[in-house]
Amino acid sequence: MTRISFLLGSAGLLVAMSADAIAVLGRHVGFTFLGAIEIVQASVVLAASAAMVGATLSGAHARVHILIERLGTLWHRRMDHGADLISCLFFLFLAAGSAWVAADLWAGFEVTEILGLPLRWLRLVWIGSCLLIAGLFLWRALTQPTEPGHDA
Amino acid sequence: GKEEPAPGAVILSYASPYPPTHPFSRADQEWMKAVTAKSGGKLVIKPFWSGSLISSDQSMVEIRHGVADIGLITPIYARGGAHALRGQAGFYGDIKDLPDQVAIYKCLEAAFPVFGKELEGLHVLAVQGGNFPGVLTRHKPIETLEDLRGLRLRAQTEALGMLRDLGADPVNMPMGEVYSALAKGVIDGVVAPADTITSLHFGEVAPYFTALHFDRGAYPARAMSDKAWQRLTPELRQVMVETQPIWEAALARQILVAEERGLEKGADLGMRMIMALPPADQERFRSLYAENARRIADELAHFDVDGHPILTHAQDLIAARARGETPACFGPENPQQAEVSP
Amino acid sequence: MTPELWGAAGVLVLLIMLTLGLPIGVALAAVGAGGIAILVTPEAAMIKAGVVAFETIAKYELGVLPLFLLMAHLCFAAGASRDFFDVAARFIGHRPGGLALASIAGCAGFGAISGSSLATAATIGSVALPEMRKHNYSPAFATGALAAGGTLGALIPPSGALIVFGIIAEQSIGRLFAAAVIPGLSQALFYMVGIYILCRIWPELGPKTARVPWRDRLPALRRIIDILALVMFVVGGLMVGWFTPTEAASVGAVGSFLLCAIRGALTRAAMTKALADTLRTTGMIYVVIIGAILFSTFVSLTGITGHMSALVTDLGAGPMVAVLVIALLLLVLGSFLDGLALMLLTAPIFLPIIVELGLSPIWFGIFLVRTMEIGFVHPPLGLNCYVIHGIAKDIPLGTIFRGIVPFLAIDFVHLAVIIAFPAVTLWLPSVLGA
Ligand code: NA
Ligand code: NA
Repeated sequence: MTRISFLLGSAGLLVAMSADAIAVLGRHVGFTFLGAIEIVQASVVLAASAAMVGATLSGAHARVHILIERLGTLWHRRMDHGADLISCLFFLFLAAGSAWVAADLWAGFEVTEILGLPLRWLRLVWIGSCLLIAGLFLWRALTQPTEPGHDA
Repeated sequence: GKEEPAPGAVILSYASPYPPTHPFSRADQEWMKAVTAKSGGKLVIKPFWSGSLISSDQSMVEIRHGVADIGLITPIYARGGAHALRGQAGFYGDIKDLPDQVAIYKCLEAAFPVFGKELEGLHVLAVQGGNFPGVLTRHKPIETLEDLRGLRLRAQTEALGMLRDLGADPVNMPMGEVYSALAKGVIDGVVAPADTITSLHFGEVAPYFTALHFDRGAYPARAMSDKAWQRLTPELRQVMVETQPIWEAALARQILVAEERGLEKGADLGMRMIMALPPADQERFRSLYAENARRIADELAHFDVDGHPILTHAQDLIAARARGETPACFGPENPQQAEVSP
Repeated sequence: MTPELWGAAGVLVLLIMLTLGLPIGVALAAVGAGGIAILVTPEAAMIKAGVVAFETIAKYELGVLPLFLLMAHLCFAAGASRDFFDVAARFIGHRPGGLALASIAGCAGFGAISGSSLATAATIGSVALPEMRKHNYSPAFATGALAAGGTLGALIPPSGALIVFGIIAEQSIGRLFAAAVIPGLSQALFYMVGIYILCRIWPELGPKTARVPWRDRLPALRRIIDILALVMFVVGGLMVGWFTPTEAASVGAVGSFLLCAIRGALTRAAMTKALADTLRTTGMIYVVIIGAILFSTFVSLTGITGHMSALVTDLGAGPMVAVLVIALLLLVLGSFLDGLALMLLTAPIFLPIIVELGLSPIWFGIFLVRTMEIGFVHPPLGLNCYVIHGIAKDIPLGTIFRGIVPFLAIDFVHLAVIIAFPAVTLWLPSVLGA
């Protein structure tokens, strides 16, 4: 799973980078790459979704450590456990909200302006990522957290 | 005097992505005062400005689900769910003025159920017309259409086809970047209404303005969720109905004031303002606009909307107005008949 | 309960959740969505969360942030940070506190590539700290200089914090970048002057190293000429309008790929690491931004903002007092909040006040980032200090926080200059027409 999120995210980043760079090049050489912005937007949706999954996989979410670092191992674990469960619930909530919005717009042919890229599939990718992240937090909560998360 | 809320007053939230100083927001505030006054303080509107409560892109969805009770909607910029509303805004070639835009939109809405379908879950409180955009340029004035050839212009999606027909090189970039892109020559100009000379400070970086008359049409611009509407007593609903013409008149007036202020500021800055193209060019622009409208109508088919009858109807109404007639669908509520308080 | 009381309760719950170690983004989002559910409806909260999440990840202007991150990670893979420090060390290493001066120069140089304070502290720190320890620098002084120098990364453009501020405040990112140049460079200068004076008084803080002869200095310059060219190309291209600030991220990332290729660093392992690091940080930042926007929606529903600006206006003490109060609040909040979260939390609250007071939002963006950066080094949650501690585990946190004290004093002087002379920020953008 780490590998898939890495590949998807990297592809998103590289496509976004190339689209804007080609647009700049085109402007100076004399061709117009209309819609580069839309390609950047679409690929950043992929990159960001995959990046959030990746950050969850590697426990990279930013946290405040003032208190938990001073607690004993047992309490530290309990706190981590609670934090994972709340995070899981939150991402489920986010998935539900995103799915509701997507359902509202599903029949509305949501497309980008110039290239007409259909946004519903990007919304699905995002919703899938949310569910995956929720699952990862749940899995961590159930399988005994052992290491504290670290700051980026 | 200041309208005070009565005890036990109904409070509704109003949300807009614009700051309170924007012309749209000034009109909104006039309407809020009118609502409180007309209801004797029983209905009070609580505003949330600057996108603090709703977004600009998804406000229709947000209002439908009650994020705000009432809010500003922009179906003409929606990427989905409002293709007919968006497309019809390009069908207003040769329109006379802002009040006619609003009246004709209402005729279209009454005649074509597709608009009602796109507005499902929403109760429209005000329809608004658009400014007629012009073009602001950096290096040279646009005196004829030929002058547009080869220029790199930032434009809204609807105008892209037309600009290409004219030999320009249209680009799409976020409005927030246009100022510095103009300042540094990343682009040669921008298609925008005159009020941007002041509101977005384009006058500082683009010394030439030419009025082009991309005749943009009206669209439903303020709405309330059906659920919030159902909760209102008949008496308060009547207040909403009665204040609609006031809101629409305020919007029309504020939009014109903003445009005028932009033109004045432009003159102050020593900008060269070209208010009309040579007659032959005007005519060519008209026919290109009509062609563009047909193209938009064609493209609506992708979204299961039959655009051509809408276009034909809009053009018939505009032609009737040009002959001095008042079509039957122009109801008594259009802003021309509303009392306009300065 | 009135909305204002719910707001106060929400802030309290947020602080508790943060201390309990919940991910910052999740805590912000949970309180925000919970608050919206209470003040409006649960349905509205859920829809708002769905809208905010997708709008955030699909936003073009924010999409440049991961690309700037990528550029920095690639330059790091190409060895840019080591070279920056090495060259600086050859030129000024023999002066009192010379390696500390070189660290600041290295941080400023790397700051022109990197958009983040943490990344700058980590990269330059991992190169410079071993050198300084080898030459018997005081551990407190050495780590203090690096933690402070790292904050240059967030002010000198490109700056991730300024991109985020530009999005929230709807200000031109290009203008913000231009406004940050002089404050960023003067901050570096202030540090260097401070280091020089300190080491004049207490030479044992930073003992002199051997003088490198000139014939060995100039060839070293050649080692950073390609990076300098890249920096000049990106910054210069921005200024003359070859590309916009958002496009600069892509152009810079492509340029750093070329840099890696030229330097023979374009290996599969190095690229994988750069991309993976970029994605990890990106994922972390997006969660915090989504959370912060939800939280700020809740805050505006409570009306706290209006009360606070009314309070400041009613005080009638003028903008300066208001700015000082805001600075104080930011410093207090910065002692237990992460920088980006702090910015996302406070920008929507303070910006309307600032605008009402007739101050420039561009200036406020720079002021906010500068103040926030002080929060990156002061205890108990100076994240940069933790980063440096991560590089040298044997130096206790207490020592690092002790070493930061003189730099904090310099920070306050510099902050005072930014507050007292807005021209320091506003002059350059006005000249450049950015
Ligand atoms: Na930087
Ligand atoms: Na901090």
